[in-house]
Amino acid sequence: MGLQENIRDKGVLGAVAAQADDVFTRLTAGIDAGEFRRMLQGEPPGRPNPRLKPHSEGFLLHIKPTYYHESVTRFTHTYRLGLLSTYLFIVETITGILLMIWYAPSPERAYVDMILLLTNIPFGQFLRDMHRLGAEAMVAIVTLHMVRCYLTGSYKPPRQFTWFTGVLLLVMTLFLSFSGYLLPWDQLAFWAVTIGTSMAEAVPPAVVGETVNLLARGAPDIGANGLLRFYLLHVLFLPLLLILFFFVHYYKVVHFGISLPADEEEVGEDTANRVPADKRVYYLPDVLVDETSFLTVMTALLIVLTVFFFQAPLEHIANPQSTPLHTVAPWYFYWLQGLLKIADKFIAGVLLPGVLLVLLMAIPYLDYNPSRRGKDRMVAIVAGIGAGAVMIIWSWMGTPEYAVEGAPSVEIVQDVMPEEGSGLSREIGYKHLPLGVWRTDEEYDVHDHEFMELLHEFNSAVDYYRRADPDFNAPIGILTITQAQPKLKKLNWEITWFSADGKEGEYKKTFWLHEDSLYWEQYGWKHLFMGYVADGWKSLSGALAGE
Amino acid sequence: MHRLYTRSPIAKIMWGILSSLVGIIALLMVLVSENPRMEAQTINWEGRSIENGAKLFSDNCVICHGPDGKGILGRGPGLNSYYFFTDTGRLKDVGWVGSLEDYVKLTIAAGRPSKTESQWPEVMPTWGGQFGGPLRGDQVVDLTKFVMNWEGSALAQTPDEDPFQPFEDVIRPTEFQNTAYILLSEEEQAAALEEYRARNIRSPQEIWTGEACFACHNLEERQVDVYGQNGPNMADLYERAGSRVEGMTAEEYVYESIVNPAAYLVETYEQAGKMPQNFAEKLSEDEIQALVAWLLNPDREQ
Repeated sequence: MGLQENIRDKGVLGAVAAQADDVFTRLTAGIDAGEFRRMLQGEPPGRPNPRLKPHSEGFLLHIKPTYYHESVTRFTHTYRLGLLSTYLFIVETITGILLMIWYAPSPERAYVDMILLLTNIPFGQFLRDMHRLGAEAMVAIVTLHMVRCYLTGSYKPPRQFTWFTGVLLLVMTLFLSFSGYLLPWDQLAFWAVTIGTSMAEAVPPAVVGETVNLLARGAPDIGANGLLRFYLLHVLFLPLLLILFFFVHYYKVVHFGISLPADEEEVGEDTANRVPADKRVYYLPDVLVDETSFLTVMTALLIVLTVFFFQAPLEHIANPQSTPLHTVAPWYFYWLQGLLKIADKFIAGVLLPGVLLVLLMAIPYLDYNPSRRGKDRMVAIVAGIGAGAVMIIWSWMGTPEYAVEGAPSVEIVQDVMPEEGSGLSREIGYKHLPLGVWRTDEEYDVHDHEFMELLHEFNSAVDYYRRADPDFNAPIGILTITQAQPKLKKLNWEITWFSADGKEGEYKKTFWLHEDSLYWEQYGWKHLFMGYVADGWKSLSGALAGE
Repeated sequence: MHRLYTRSPIAKIMWGILSSLVGIIALLMVLVSENPRMEAQTINWEGRSIENGAKLFSDNCVICHGPDGKGILGRGPGLNSYYFFTDTGRLKDVGWVGSLEDYVKLTIAAGRPSKTESQWPEVMPTWGGQFGGPLRGDQVVDLTKFVMNWEGSALAQTPDEDPFQPFEDVIRPTEFQNTAYILLSEEEQAAALEEYRARNIRSPQEIWTGEACFACHNLEERQVDVYGQNGPNMADLYERAGSRVEGMTAEEYVYESIVNPAAYLVETYEQAGKMPQNFAEKLSEDEIQALVAWLLNPDREQ
């Protein structure tokens, strides 16, 4: 109907209202204002259901089912872990694209760009912290999603292939997270990735392993080419691959429906397409409100964790010439590092993970038990929990706690002032380190609580290794603090001892500490946040008051 | 079973609104804190850079420049030095117009490989990777920041404390490459220099070779230039000088050409500024007079 007839029939106001309603309906792909109001008031839809229109007409909702079974909308059934994984991928994409603005993947610039991001870009640190936290959360949530599906037996027919693609998505998530690990180009990144890629070298025969390694690193060792390759993997190849498999996975989820609680569904039943009318929960508006509010709460949680608690690490710039003590893989690969400590590189680094992966993907095809009920699949559940426990033990073995012990003298200094990270010395900082010579075989009474704590820790570390190592007798630790420059102190750690056969040993390690350095990895930075807020507020309100 | 999640859409919407508020407040707090945070981060990374530089200095530089940067006598110059950190000191002596930080960075990165006859037992090596040295660019920056961090202690030095060891290859006599001299007023400096020159008068021959006049001016063969057109031939100067400028004697003309080389340029040698402009400062009045007389003497001794 033309505008003029419309005005003639309904008057000006009526015509404007009709036009507005029309626009509203177009924007919502089929829901008019009256229907929207009825939704908000909780009234049931009419027949035929006008709330199905956005699913058939709109792109965004066409991938969503129009209704779910009432039982799967319970939070405690799915914990919304799949949704949350997808959402975290979107968060990572947005923060990642923003971070790309200030990053160039070359060894000359990558690390400098990190520092510029932290020092010169408003919200730069926030973006980086959030991207890092989101990545680690995504690994955790995807894993938990898998655990949930395993424990509820959701991989059973007809959802075997859904599980299979899910395992692929987990692997991609791990690689996506790991490929991002190298990009800051610090010691942590460089050595974790060097260890990670060196496992590829163990693939037999040697020529294949070397070629795979060469392809990943772009050279025998990680350098400019390796960084570029990991960058492209991280920002282009893996995300695209993940998006592709996500849609395969999600198509299967919609196609077969989310599995009902075990006692409501027989294996092989097609629940998604046969939901009794009285059990249907429509996407509009109930599930949409549910998902939106859930994701809003999760976003707020992610922001609060980022702002107040989480700090993405940044160690010294990558140095191929010096391997830091106690190099670790990212936490989600601790298990692999643990395995590498007890078995050879081929078995632990290639064979076992490969077998585990194939087994994981093959679970739906190996498990012939037709029941999804917990009491019928005790073996599967016990095996699953057992496998989880083994993973945790392997992970613990992957940490420096297990089977990595340098010489006692090295470990003592590493304990109080490590090469990377902070340690108590840097935690208490410049102002709590009085100049002088401090020996573990003498008693001091300094009016500085923090420094006394450091001396105490130094003392007890020396004492611990004296008792633990028969080759480390009558040890003396000497800490000499001198003023190297204005605002720069030099800390010289010296340990002397006698070996079992009476030979004298000596170890020296020197560090410098600047007054302005903030080693916040375990200390301070996030505590200082409220101080920065107060300072910023003071200058802002001052600027506003003083025009 | 306890429901973690409520089914009421109103409660869900309230949760959504509440957490939006929490998120927005947290982001606003970040917004407010950004300026102080970025300042703290800036000095933090400067501090860490200095720490890295300290390690590099202690590993590579102390053998010549000393553990406290005060140099080692006869081995390497002091850097933790008033003379080194003042514009009128080292920078003026080497004629560097940029900042001291750039000068330090360049010297570390490039070294001084061109000096085959250094006064030191070893020349400053090339450290920067871009010139074939062992250090990466960021390490050169760290080292530079560390050296620059001596500024506070260096500028607090009294002339007696300044450990600077003079360079033999700069314009200012080595006697005046020290803090005591640069702390004098300009008049006092000029007087001291004049007094020094009166004590150390060089012969014209010494000046001719010492100031490298021979590199551009041919004094032996008539009409022959040194290396193309560098500077006018001077073997026949005594014949031409008197008639070059009207109203000027030969002596006046040569004197003027030494202290102010751009005043009268010889045809086909018209590239003003090629000849150093500072001989008036480098030579005493007596030395210039003797040089003029020597140049105009047809029977001069080479």
